[in-house]
Amino acid sequence: MSALLQYLVSGIAVGCGFALLASGLVTIHRVTRVVNFAQGMFAVVGGMTAGSLLSAGLPPGAAEAAAVAVAGGAGLAVGVVATGRRGTSPQSALIVTLGLGFLAYAAEIMIWGDNPRSYPGLGGAVTVFGAHVQKQSFLVIGVTAVVFALLAVFFGRSYAGKALSACASNPYAARTMGIDPLRMGLVAFALGGALGGLAGVLLTPLQPISYNSDVLLITNGFAAAVLGGLNRPAVALAGALTLGVAESLVAGYGEASYQTVVALALMLAIMMVRASRRTALQEEAAR
Amino acid sequence: MSVSVRNSPRSSGAHAGPARRRRPAPATLGAAAVAVVALLVPVLLPATQVSVYVLLLLAAIVVVGLSMLMGFAGQVSLGQASFTMIGGYTAALTATHGLPTWLGLLLAPVVAAACAALVGVPLLRLRGHQLAFATLAIQLILLSLVGRLEWTGGDIGLQGVPRLQVAGYEFAEEISYAYLALGALGLVVLVTRHIVTSRPGRGLRALATSEVAAASSGVPVAVYKQAVFSLSAGFAGLAGGIYAFYIGYVAPGSFPVLLSFEYVVMVVVGGAGTIWGALAGATAITLLLQLLNDIGTREGMPASAPTVLSYAVYGLLLVVVVLFLPRGLVPSATAWWDRRTASKPMEG
Repeated sequence: MSALLQYLVSGIAVGCGFALLASGLVTIHRVTRVVNFAQGMFAVVGGMTAGSLLSAGLPPGAAEAAAVAVAGGAGLAVGVVATGRRGTSPQSALIVTLGLGFLAYAAEIMIWGDNPRSYPGLGGAVTVFGAHVQKQSFLVIGVTAVVFALLAVFFGRSYAGKALSACASNPYAARTMGIDPLRMGLVAFALGGALGGLAGVLLTPLQPISYNSDVLLITNGFAAAVLGGLNRPAVALAGALTLGVAESLVAGYGEASYQTVVALALMLAIMMVRASRRTALQEEAAR
Repeated sequence: MSVSVRNSPRSSGAHAGPARRRRPAPATLGAAAVAVVALLVPVLLPATQVSVYVLLLLAAIVVVGLSMLMGFAGQVSLGQASFTMIGGYTAALTATHGLPTWLGLLLAPVVAAACAALVGVPLLRLRGHQLAFATLAIQLILLSLVGRLEWTGGDIGLQGVPRLQVAGYEFAEEISYAYLALGALGLVVLVTRHIVTSRPGRGLRALATSEVAAASSGVPVAVYKQAVFSLSAGFAGLAGGIYAFYIGYVAPGSFPVLLSFEYVVMVVVGGAGTIWGALAGATAITLLLQLLNDIGTREGMPASAPTVLSYAVYGLLLVVVVLFLPRGLVPSATAWWDRRTASKPMEG
């Protein structure tokens, strides 16, 4: 029983990380229709930067915040390259973000080397009903809850958030109201970068990351986001939590190396079920 | 081979006239020249460089198939190396279990194509970025499984794959594998060319633009997509089979996700949907990587220099080509050439 609770909490914590990543993916996709392959890279950049800043002597908290800002900057840069040139189709932009991911690999290896890195987050563990749970897990869950609440307020109440939603639902109508979809796309990329960076900052103390962790992170984030058709953050949150818990249970009761297999199989199943409900005509009309 | 690019409606049609009729001759000459050079290269290269050439040819075999999938069927596969892997393991398993090695080489493309056909039934309902992620997921699953299972040798892989033997002749020398790979590439190019210029080829191009429009014109969309997916997987499997006999061992580490991305880079840089583009892309990227590797391993360079350089160049090439030469090197170059030759008679 205590083991189950332990797996559940750590699964939810990891799932929260995926949820942040996925919400960044959703934010960018809603506004720009670009599936950002470099989303996992933001998490790696965030985590690595936080580690470096902490070891450089910045106080905890400030280092993490700075790392999230750096990841947001990386997001903005990716957005400028991927969508800045007029007439880049979302399909080509996917390949461009793949290329930017490679460029980031080069920079990351130059700066941080190719070994996995980690740093102590919120140290220690607490015992709840006989289950040892790392304090960092609770921190991840708490921060994610706050961030999702803030996102809901941002998209529902603030002017900038409403402008982003307007571009998502109808770019043409948004433009007639004086909103520049291109600029809003860049805002979405910066926001997505910051969310990805936050995921990296929170997850790195739980599981060490290296420069090529981004492939697994992006596939997990995509798996979570695709549940809501890449357009609904709340569904992505639910998907990410399911994914995190499923992986944690497989790793706990089965074998750790099969946890990604389970996650990926889940993603494939979801995509196929969704695809069977949509015809080619609907998809081409949506383009 | 020579008319692969010329016959596509994109490069013809718009520029009818005298220039159009003259063109096949230089194109045939060009193809012949490339073939002669390709045949001579293994003899002229120093023995240590032949391995680069063999790997280049194997990459080209995969890229021709992937280029057909991406350019003609409009589907991006980010997991093409999984079929190379299936081919390699099929050949290695057959050969290490005492069966004749030629059977292994024969089975490699067949098994890879069969796997693709099986996986393709549910997978090809997906399109665009969903298919890209799904193929990537398939490869990650496959890598994870192969690294765990006992009969595939786990993470260590299968070692001691015997040399290929066909009708008493043993492929023992490096150079014999160069000609084997060249022959395979020739076969793959011929098959692709025949498909591309045939009626199904036109159907494929139609469905790449709009599946609905193609289906309403009587193109069996699902069957064609499935066939191209299996065929491109078969090509990848063939390359994997030759690779297994050439290198002598296969392991999950020989077919990383990065290899799949590398194939995509080659297709995009060369130009999707043209055979010449695939060949040029594979050649350019392989040579460039080799050059970077030489620079990176010079004295005074840090140990990580080769990796950093190759990643940086992959990234830069992908971004620059997609943004500024979206059709790829070869189609852009031929379009430029067409414009030049088409404008000349008018001036004169």
